Amino acid sequence: MQQNLMEQGLSRQEIQALRNKRTGLAIFQLSWIMTFVCLSIVNLQLRNMAPTWPPPGVDQLNALIPTLMTLVLIASSFLIRRGTKAMKAGESEAFLTNWRYALGLGTLFVIVMAVEWITVPYSGQFSDVFRLMVGFHGIHALVIGWYLWRVYRNGQAGAYGSNHYWPVEGGASLWHFVTIAWMIFYVVLYIL
Amino acid sequence: MATISVPLEGGQVGAPERPHLKASDLLRWSVDHKIIGIQYMVTAFFFFLVGGTMAMMIRMELLTPNLDVMSSGSQYNTLFSMHGLTMIFLFIIPMFAGFGNYLLPLMLGAKDMAFPWLNALAFWLIPPAGILFMASWLVHPPEAGWTMYPPLSTLFSGDGQTLAALAAHILGISSILGAINFIVTIKNMRPPGMGYWQMPLFAWAILATSILVVMATPFLAGALTLLILDRIAGTSFFDASKGGDPLLWQNVFWFYSHPAVYIMVLPGMGVLSEVLSIHSRKPIFGYKMIAMSSMGIGILGFTVWAHHMFTSLQPELRIPFMITSFFIAVPTGIKIFSWLGTLWGGKLHLNGALLFALGFLSMFVIGGISGVMLAAIPFDIQVHDTYFVVSHFHFVLFGGSVFAIYAAIYHWFPKITGKMLNERLARVHFILTYLGFFFTFMPMNWLGMLGMPRRVAYYAPEFQNWNRVVSFAAFVLGISTFVLVYNVIVSLRQGKEAGANPWRALTLEWATTSPPPATNFIGDPIPYEDPYGYGTDKANAYLDEIDRRFGVADEAPMPRPTAPAPAPAAGD
Repeated sequence: MQQNLMEQGLSRQEIQALRNKRTGLAIFQLSWIMTFVCLSIVNLQLRNMAPTWPPPGVDQLNALIPTLMTLVLIASSFLIRRGTKAMKAGESEAFLTNWRYALGLGTLFVIVMAVEWITVPYSGQFSDVFRLMVGFHGIHALVIGWYLWRVYRNGQAGAYGSNHYWPVEGGASLWHFVTIAWMIFYVVLYIL
Repeated sequence: MATISVPLEGGQVGAPERPHLKASDLLRWSVDHKIIGIQYMVTAFFFFLVGGTMAMMIRMELLTPNLDVMSSGSQYNTLFSMHGLTMIFLFIIPMFAGFGNYLLPLMLGAKDMAFPWLNALAFWLIPPAGILFMASWLVHPPEAGWTMYPPLSTLFSGDGQTLAALAAHILGISSILGAINFIVTIKNMRPPGMGYWQMPLFAWAILATSILVVMATPFLAGALTLLILDRIAGTSFFDASKGGDPLLWQNVFWFYSHPAVYIMVLPGMGVLSEVLSIHSRKPIFGYKMIAMSSMGIGILGFTVWAHHMFTSLQPELRIPFMITSFFIAVPTGIKIFSWLGTLWGGKLHLNGALLFALGFLSMFVIGGISGVMLAAIPFDIQVHDTYFVVSHFHFVLFGGSVFAIYAAIYHWFPKITGKMLNERLARVHFILTYLGFFFTFMPMNWLGMLGMPRRVAYYAPEFQNWNRVVSFAAFVLGISTFVLVYNVIVSLRQGKEAGANPWRALTLEWATTSPPPATNFIGDPIPYEDPYGYGTDKANAYLDEIDRRFGVADEAPMPRPTAPAPAPAAGD
């Protein structure tokens, strides 16, 4: 890896900085995923305490649309990965195409889940914790999605190349984080 | 004789120009880890004085069994709540972050932290959080203790509780950013020749602490988010009457806050490993065991949180948590015995740094033992919510963390400022602190076992005598702080020159001028193969080389080559 980077004309300092960014982002993700684990535990404990879950007279959440949206999100993550690989290989066009579709799928996910968030009927703890979790995830999806959009626009302007693609790599990594975080929530909210 | 490794490559002899740090440098945005480190320390020390003032007011109130200083019990609640929150979130955690920031790149021979800009951001989150926190006095400060248990914190505490929770949120983010920086710096920026097992033990302690911070602090963020939502957004996660669960807070909060206890003491343990070895001129005993026990404490630290909830937990869960709580004493014990082994047969230089390190050793053991007592459920239920608990955590947090901070100040002040602290004042400071500390917190053990409840401004009249002893000793302890402040001010102006390596220490932060230049080192320093290999000819040659490169101050505190060589390492 080090050898490759040297060949691409990066200086010792630049390689060090890149290594640091990669490690730093990985540790941040490891740390921040714990907030999602924490909210999942909150959900499970509230559920344990409640005599019935969902409360009497409230329907179980319909899992069909969220399941489709989960697949959409996974597909977007997959496209992001393909686009990033293309960028590493210097294929700028393929990068842009993959990311364009990925951003479209990501937007679809956010909009549909926002509708779910708004339309869930109030039912005390049950809907509060649902809104908290979906909202918390949605904020992450929005902020990181917005960052990906910025990277995409910069990519259109030709800002990245096969030896300079950290924003692409970092953004992709953050989007995978959004996907993994959602999968944890999906299991807790719709499967367990 | 073995080959002599030189501390610095390149041919430059003589000291590079020494920077002169101005007070105004501390008020501006800087990405230099040394300035950020000092900014952390000065800010944290300021909050130490603020929190200490609150402690003095608490002890004034408790001089008599009745309410006399405070206007109401509720006001007393705000006082001890703010005292605890200030000391934990604004003093101990940032103080050690300050030492970590200043020392870690130097110890690793690096020019700065991995992410200098992020480092500055992490620091500059603290002053606004501190202001937000203190602003809670303007509305109505939190009354629910530092643990912020609902429903106290949701139904019975003023708007200041919201501000305090927000401030703690910001401080948590600051800690996470700082910890990421530490981990990346340790993982990626060690110099050639320094594997993990050649790192100074302080770096190991910072690594273990940082792992705890990144894995546990998100739980604090989660808990505080729920608390803030309950307070301002109309949710009722902690309201049992609406299907919420007050125990939910306790679980999530302690899942952060028990590891946080180790976040507050592990760096202190790292300081101790440095100070004891250097000032007793002996290799550290059991290097690998000390390093691994830091990691062991880090991992076990996640398995004991519910011992804070013995009286509220489902009974069937008590025994497992009792067992894990006993277990966590094992790695701590390994450290204590390793330190004793280090001291054994050493040539002890009883200066300020070593005195406070020995103070830590003795007082922390008392706190550790009362901790094991509290881990035993029958005993815990007996002394639950009494002064025994107050005594226990002050023995570990003051007797542990604060003594370690003092030791660190005496040890690294020469490096940070280029001046020695006055040793005579250091001794006065130590004696006042040690005695003041002991007589403040030891009698609390008796008071607790006699049944005096904590967090109450009134108490039964028969407790008054001991409370007077405690209060007077606390005032001595309070005054002792100003001996250090005075010492720092006087020494900054007219202290003796320290020279690059006053303690003849082998770790890399001493292989440069005091204070170090902006880039820390001229050239890339070469670490000595064993950071604690004192007493060998090879180590002495390395140290002589540092002296030759950077010069020696006129009145160097450690014997130099002209004096008799340090005693050879005994017992290993």
